[in-house]
Amino acid sequence: MTIIEPISEANVEVTVNGRPHRHRVPARLLLSDYIRDTVGLTGTHLGCEHGYCGACTVMVNGDAVRSCLMLAVQADGAEVRTVEDLAPAGSDALSPMQQAFHDNHALQCGFCTAGFLMTLESVDPAEWRDPERLVELLSGNLCRCTGYQNIVAAVTEAWNAYDGSGGSDDG
Amino acid sequence: MKPAPFEYCRPSTVDEALEALGSSESSRVLAGGQSLIPAMNFRLTDVSLLVDINRVEGLDAVTCDSGGVTVGAAATQTRVLEDDGAASVVPGLRAALRHVGHLQIRDRGTVCGSLAHADPAAELPAVAVATGAAIDVTGPAGERRIDAADFFHGPFWTALEDGDLITEVRFPAPPPRSVTIVDEICRRAGDFAVAGLVAVIEVDAGAVRSARLVGFGLGGVPTRLQAAEAAIGGWAADHPVVTLTEAVMADTTDAFDDIHAPNWYRGEAVAALTVRAALRALATEEEV
Repeated sequence: MTIIEPISEANVEVTVNGRPHRHRVPARLLLSDYIRDTVGLTGTHLGCEHGYCGACTVMVNGDAVRSCLMLAVQADGAEVRTVEDLAPAGSDALSPMQQAFHDNHALQCGFCTAGFLMTLESVDPAEWRDPERLVELLSGNLCRCTGYQNIVAAVTEAWNAYDGSGGSDDG
Repeated sequence: MKPAPFEYCRPSTVDEALEALGSSESSRVLAGGQSLIPAMNFRLTDVSLLVDINRVEGLDAVTCDSGGVTVGAAATQTRVLEDDGAASVVPGLRAALRHVGHLQIRDRGTVCGSLAHADPAAELPAVAVATGAAIDVTGPAGERRIDAADFFHGPFWTALEDGDLITEVRFPAPPPRSVTIVDEICRRAGDFAVAGLVAVIEVDAGAVRSARLVGFGLGGVPTRLQAAEAAIGGWAADHPVVTLTEAVMADTTDAFDDIHAPNWYRGEAVAALTVRAALRALATEEEV
């Protein structure tokens, strides 16, 4: 919706994990704070809050974005996905990538994990396959515990499972 | 870190955007926001009004023809990076964008925003200078077209005046039989480079015919390496490397000298990148 007259608060309608939300928010409210404090989904973690660490990565209309570098008002009309949406609803199961992270010890403290998972979720799974491409893909997320080796191992396992299940159309 | 309070508007036409930009003394254009929002989170920049141009009709276009690529102000870096037409007409765009930030940054960040921000270590301003890009600006003084060579005035300082809006940038196609190489020395993938080079190199019969060489991360603005451009004509793979490296060192005597790298290191880094680029360009010709 067009906003011609400058405002310091606006109504936003945002779909978060498939559920519509409607709030009146200050213009200065970051999307990251909107997701955590207004919507109440605290799986999205805030590390640096200046776009360096990638912990707050969420998907906006399918793209991976740093939610600390976007305003909540900019998400008006958008579809946002967060880590809470990855595991199948109504069961204790994890998503295949979450399970692979678990099985490969791809996290220690877990603070960065949601950001890694959302970055991986946002791309075509074929991008998980090429080790060089994968390192480039993960370069925007910082992990201070694992040294990344186990994260790469988890993604490789997730790719093998995906590929073996006939999920790939070209691989 | 949260930004201080500000007002926000989201116009749908360029005229509305200009009117909003002119209505406040410290108004700023919000395109991708990948540099502006961090600066606001740190409270390094004082903004009273953000004019969000992401929903201005027509500003997100990317168009290609045989003569070049035109990128609208709201077109994201990812959009241009993934555009096969743009990559084939102006190869320097994809080559440079691979080095810009990370996926999450490029998904929001814009090409025109990077030019307007004018970070001395950014790749895209150097691509603009190396390819002779033209930047279309509209503002209180009307519309004008600014050559990239005249656009960058200093670190985070451009020819843009208060209330101006970049509407699009046109990157002309490099000469036929040329090879464009974007290379940089960088401590961590995706970070700003310690030093980098955009080289548009024309090769002919196993030798360099001519080249446009633009360094970044060296000074306040993209740096034309003029001595090196003069020295590289006629250079071939079996020629001494020192003719190129000495010329680059002469071009970079004023390079930044700071905690990240001493001035001589930046010169030597760009000299090495220049040699590497020339060899790659010559090897590319052999393959073709």
